[in-house]
Amino acid sequence: MSKAKKVPYLVDRPMSFCPGCGHGIVIRLVAECLEELEQSDNIVFPIGVGCSSLLGGGVEADRLHCSHGRAGAVATAIKRCNPNNVVISYQGDGDAYSIGIGETTSAAYRNEKFTTIIINNTNYGMTGGQMSNTTLPNQKTNTSVYGRDCSVTGNPLRFPELAADQFNVGYAARGSVHDVANIRKTKSYIKKALEMQLSGAGYSVVEVLSPCPTNWKMEPLEAMKHISEHVTTYFPLGEFVEKEEK
Amino acid sequence: MKECIFAGFGGQGVLTVGLLISQMATFKDYHATWIPQYGSAMRGGTANCTVKFGEEYIYNPSQEEPDILLAMNNPSLVKFLPLVKSGGTIVVNSDLVDSKLNTRKDINLVEVPCMTLAKEIDHPRGANVIMAGAIVKLSGDFTEKEAIDGMNDMFRKKGKEKFQELNTKALSTGYNYI
Amino acid sequence: MADMMKGNVAIAEAAIRAGARLYAGYPITPSTEIMEYMSWRMAEVDGVFVQAESEIAGINMIIGGAACGVRAITASSGPGISLKQEGMTTLSDEELPAVVVNMVRYGNGIGTLYSAQCDYHRETRGGGNGDYRCIVLCPSSIQEATELMVLAFDLAEKYRMVSVFMSEGALGQMMEPCELPPMRDLPRYPWGFDGKYTNKKIGIFDRNSRDEAVLLNEKYNRVKENEQRWEANSIEDADYVLVAYGLPGRASIGAAKELRAEGYKVGVIRVITAWPFPEKAFEEVNPNVKGFITIEANATGQLIDDVALTALRTIENKVQCYCRPHVYGIPSVKAIKQDFIDVINGNMKEVY
Repeated sequence: MSKAKKVPYLVDRPMSFCPGCGHGIVIRLVAECLEELEQSDNIVFPIGVGCSSLLGGGVEADRLHCSHGRAGAVATAIKRCNPNNVVISYQGDGDAYSIGIGETTSAAYRNEKFTTIIINNTNYGMTGGQMSNTTLPNQKTNTSVYGRDCSVTGNPLRFPELAADQFNVGYAARGSVHDVANIRKTKSYIKKALEMQLSGAGYSVVEVLSPCPTNWKMEPLEAMKHISEHVTTYFPLGEFVEKEEK
Repeated sequence: MKECIFAGFGGQGVLTVGLLISQMATFKDYHATWIPQYGSAMRGGTANCTVKFGEEYIYNPSQEEPDILLAMNNPSLVKFLPLVKSGGTIVVNSDLVDSKLNTRKDINLVEVPCMTLAKEIDHPRGANVIMAGAIVKLSGDFTEKEAIDGMNDMFRKKGKEKFQELNTKALSTGYNYI
Repeated sequence: MADMMKGNVAIAEAAIRAGARLYAGYPITPSTEIMEYMSWRMAEVDGVFVQAESEIAGINMIIGGAACGVRAITASSGPGISLKQEGMTTLSDEELPAVVVNMVRYGNGIGTLYSAQCDYHRETRGGGNGDYRCIVLCPSSIQEATELMVLAFDLAEKYRMVSVFMSEGALGQMMEPCELPPMRDLPRYPWGFDGKYTNKKIGIFDRNSRDEAVLLNEKYNRVKENEQRWEANSIEDADYVLVAYGLPGRASIGAAKELRAEGYKVGVIRVITAWPFPEKAFEEVNPNVKGFITIEANATGQLIDDVALTALRTIENKVQCYCRPHVYGIPSVKAIKQDFIDVINGNMKEVY
């Protein structure tokens, strides 16, 4: 018989995500991993701008709302100044991959010893559904009303693959929260990323495909199905690099 | 207060001569300032700095009207000649500088073949220190001993005391050439 | 006897001695030597140095370090400080202390490498979005720069504000004899992140901007009341007062001295804190003063606005305010004397 787990204290209060949003699941997974690794009292969250910033209203922990896209830089300094704290920059795809691509890439490039969790819902959620660097080809958004035309916008960015291929990072993976099996797998990725950070061996990043029923204009279940049928075809799930821990 | 401009090609050590003179001044408890031309202006081979020193506080450290100009090459002489104070002194590296380029009658032009002198004392990189010696004498602000002590103090603090003997010789050579 | 020391090196070492333990930044002439010095010096004092990928990343690293309670400093120049405004407004919003050094260079856009004072308005008004002020300190010598660097950290900590160290390119590049401040071994600020959430924070949705505005004004008023700094010479009986800061301020003191010796009743106010502006200095000026003359190294005249506003508030009689913007560089003593002569001969029109 399955047993309901207690919500970790760290995040056991209301957060204002839309119904069917994946953020809440990921935050819960992060909190569970911290609890299991006994790091709930040893955590600092630099938080992105966008829907990810709603984490700041609900988490009882050291946290800093960074300027849009800058969490990679802020986290760099926090981790270097407080190397014994677990540092997780919590960001969305717009924050980390568009306006913050410089900071995100540079942190990975320098192999900073913190963890980045990036919620990829293939659009700018907070501002109401505009195209992002991960919007799928032909996906309709408020700034690609006829569908994303990659001939003029470029192709969606696959950051964990980039980090794994080009930089000497510790861990890079992509999970999804569209069904139970993937939620479990994603949790294992997040845990590995945090273990990588605790080992001090290198930068760790987990991108999580997450539904955005509000801006996708879908029912929550339909949004889950959309991930498994469409989003994962462009953004493959799995681990791209896992360095030996120190 | 005295103002000096030290100018020449990059590599001729003019910034160091300026620093030497300013350090000798502080060694004597004078006020002193040293200011270089910097940034992209320093690319392309020419370098110069302005040194001011004296018993009074220096209100403006930048180039105004030098009492002494050191010109280590022709472009430096041409460029700074109009700035020199009437009655001022221009010291030229006569191994390289054509003194006929001087068009002013109200200044005192002193020729020092510093490169030849440097070879003679077997310190080919000491031409700038020879010029420092010459300027010390011409300025009348320091004794030869004060200058040598100030210089050696500076080089010692930079960890370059192994050249002390050669530099002392170079400074004296310049000083006594005048 | 002090040794000749380069401005940027003295500034960097003074910051270390004042307690700076994080430097993050991006090189730009004429501030780069500060970063180069920090790149090896920080390691010697167990501090953190990061060569950031951009000016923006650099200031955001300062935010991260300051949030951990670390005394943090970055340095740049004109265009680089433009990019840092985002971080400076964030630091101000979070009430995180930090020191930002601007070795000002002349020009709009990418500008030039000339030493200048063209960033006065931006630094004194808070150049980012929102409604904040930074404490702005303006040294006129390398010795004073080292002293103001210590003060910059102390005021930033005391008021939980950003201290802008507004100097000029030339001051960083020049050398003067200088006595460095003693080394301080300070603990981190007590309120920084420790991972345990020791210091509680109001959630973003629970903030009350109206209440915060009241507190912000109270704080800024305290700064204005307590932290004005200036150097004044012979202003009590002056017919004309030169007002300037930094290297032109220093040259203006020399010019006023010579003018006095020639029989003109000229005084000087050398502004040390551009914000809070030294209004109190103006209260000591001869009430029958005929004019204020600002001597500036910019194109359009900026300090003049603060001088005119302050004159309006502190001098009962209507007083003419003149401005001579020398564009860039350090105006010579001779040139400043000529500016004064132009005023008394009616060859310079008042701005206000």
